[in-house]
Amino acid sequence: MKRIGFIAVREFLATVATRGFLLGVLIMPAIMTIAVTVGPRLMNQRTAPVRGQVAVVDPTGSVTGELRATLDPQAIEARRTEASRRAMANVPAAVRDLAGDANSAASNTAIDAAIGAVPELEVVELPHDPKALAYLPAEKAWLTEDSQGLRHIALVIVHPDAVSLAAGQTDYGTYDIYVTPNLDDRVETAVYESLREALVNARVRNQRLDRNLLDATVRVPRTPSITVTRDGERPTVGAFNRALPFAFVFLLLFSVLMGGQGLVTSTVEEKSSRVIEVLLSAVSPFELMAGKILGQMGVSFVVLALYIGLGLLLLVSFAVLGLLDFSLVFYLVVFFVITYLTMGSLMVAVGAAVNEMREAQALMMPLTLTMMVPWVLAAPISRQPNSTFSTVISFVPPVNTFAMLLRLTSSAPPPAWQVWLTIAVGIASVGAAVWVAAKVFRVGLLLHGKPPDFATLVRWVKAA
Amino acid sequence: MDAVRLHHVRKTFGRTTAVDDLDLVVPAGALYGFIGPNGAGKTTSIRMIMSILFPDSGELSVLGRPSALEAKDRIGYLPEERGIYRKMRVGAFLTYMARLKAVDETAITPRVRRGLERVGLRGAERQRCEELSKGMLQKVQILTAIIHEPDLLILDEPFSGLDPVSTRLLRDVILEEHRQGATVLFSTHVMPQAEEICEHVVMIHRGRKVLDDQLATIRRRYDPRTIRFEPLDPAADLSPLRGLAEVERIDPVPGGYDIVLAVGSDPGAAIRRITAAVTPARIEISRPRLEDIFISIVSEGGAADAERSLRANLQGLGSAEATA
Repeated sequence: MKRIGFIAVREFLATVATRGFLLGVLIMPAIMTIAVTVGPRLMNQRTAPVRGQVAVVDPTGSVTGELRATLDPQAIEARRTEASRRAMANVPAAVRDLAGDANSAASNTAIDAAIGAVPELEVVELPHDPKALAYLPAEKAWLTEDSQGLRHIALVIVHPDAVSLAAGQTDYGTYDIYVTPNLDDRVETAVYESLREALVNARVRNQRLDRNLLDATVRVPRTPSITVTRDGERPTVGAFNRALPFAFVFLLLFSVLMGGQGLVTSTVEEKSSRVIEVLLSAVSPFELMAGKILGQMGVSFVVLALYIGLGLLLLVSFAVLGLLDFSLVFYLVVFFVITYLTMGSLMVAVGAAVNEMREAQALMMPLTLTMMVPWVLAAPISRQPNSTFSTVISFVPPVNTFAMLLRLTSSAPPPAWQVWLTIAVGIASVGAAVWVAAKVFRVGLLLHGKPPDFATLVRWVKAA
Repeated sequence: MDAVRLHHVRKTFGRTTAVDDLDLVVPAGALYGFIGPNGAGKTTSIRMIMSILFPDSGELSVLGRPSALEAKDRIGYLPEERGIYRKMRVGAFLTYMARLKAVDETAITPRVRRGLERVGLRGAERQRCEELSKGMLQKVQILTAIIHEPDLLILDEPFSGLDPVSTRLLRDVILEEHRQGATVLFSTHVMPQAEEICEHVVMIHRGRKVLDDQLATIRRRYDPRTIRFEPLDPAADLSPLRGLAEVERIDPVPGGYDIVLAVGSDPGAAIRRITAAVTPARIEISRPRLEDIFISIVSEGGAADAERSLRANLQGLGSAEATA
């Protein structure tokens, strides 16, 4: 046991005390930090607003004027501010504080960075033949002709029944829109929104209604819900609930893959540098394997702890720590140990069976693909956590831990007996994986030359 | 107590029999050479002794235990293919190996320092292994085998790839460990090395033991049948020698001739009759070399090419050169 400890400590230090590890571990938080701090500054530079003309063929005679009003830059900016205000109403208070006043200059700058500067669009009304509205080659040619002044951006053909209903008609007509190639979708969106506003205004005016009154009538603000727990109440954060399963699966997958990859690399290195036989003079193959697995597990724990710590720090800074059920962290650690020992054992066996990393890739492929399965299943499992599929896959190693973690972080956690059954199945899979890996490891360590195929590995397991 | 005991041990890899019905007893305190050409089964046998490989059948005991796994702390092992953690510092690597060999924690540092001084690497503890020359690395590797002062030292082709300085150092280490009471078993395919160091040799060929005896006994047993002869006149006519009843054949060799005597001839009488027939500048009985003895045992009237290849292998030249 002492020898296993010495090997584990060496393995741990040999991995952790390298520049590669530090870079690998810190790169993700660094990217996140850069994205949050430097990113907006880089994006903050105001781009020149798009200037151009939107042509309108308006048989109703009432939409063009309304469109001029709704496409006005001030009107577009007012709508953006209102949309931003509504979005902010649903995020945690800490995020609102960070974002600041929705009407502030900083806020407007941020909105501009995200959805582009407010376009400056001029409305041009084109003459039309009321009998040939379905086929307007001359009008469409306007879009593509070379313009000396403002760029031609879009052509809108308003349907004759877009503003008033004929007798017996229940639905209004709309419009057709033609645009130039490579039009910025943010500008196109601004045109769409302005058109919608213009049509509504025209229809309201046609019926002699009060638009403000109508808006007030249909407006029912969505009140944020309050989550009630045994410990008290807190605002519900929907995004948190949606992100939680993916965050936990990512943590599990990342830490297991990192440790597994480290195991393969270090074993291949030891084998190719021929230090293996020197070690085998002092320890048994099983002690060597166990020490290596535990050493790399320590490495993965460091990574896992770092990311859990960062996650908690984020929750604390946004004052939503109370949303996290800490038993999930416990299950994450338990499932990590089970999954790591299962996959790590198989990966160390792969490392022992091959001579170089290039050969390892072929044997690693099935293991890596297996590890990707939970990622694919994350959405269906978290949406239907108690479906037959979700329940069954919770007991199929090695993806059982991922599935159970997804279910535990979902809105309808499974009963406790299922959780413990998953753990029991996981422990059994660890035993089986270690048994197989120990045999492959012992045979493969001293063999050089042609790498084994799957059939050879099976033969090793049977023979050893 | 015997340090190593193998009884009817057999090991196969697929259809290849690497070791076949091998019996071997190495008494405690002995200095044994385990010799044979490349591919004879030496490394497989040693790996079985070290419990790195396990026999298909047969029994085995090491230092009184049924498996070397139970006595690894008392065994020093230098494999033929010996690596090192290149990124580790020399002191850390030796300390690591000493810990794995269960050396008392308080004794490790002084032993590492003493060991490095012994091999001429004083002060190298802080250097990374990758910073050392090949010769220095070889010395560190030798140290890893003896850092825990083993009772049994097993060395697999220990001189393979060593520079002359490391070769001399290793030979001194082997003899020193033996003087201090350790049992030494080392394998080699280079017979002159075995002749220089061993008290007892075990010859193995194609997985089977072909000879197991004291070196002195072997030399006594294999009668000298070759006389090295250098005539005073290099152009002397040797035809009178060919007519002698004791002479089977005369082979020219650099600096003279090897006169191979007929079976049952008296070397003393032969020398007298040779010197009477042709005046010698030098004449002596050629001592039987292990290489000759080995080849005489295994050649079984084989082809001359095969014999030349084997001889080159046993001289450490490698079969490729011999057949080229």
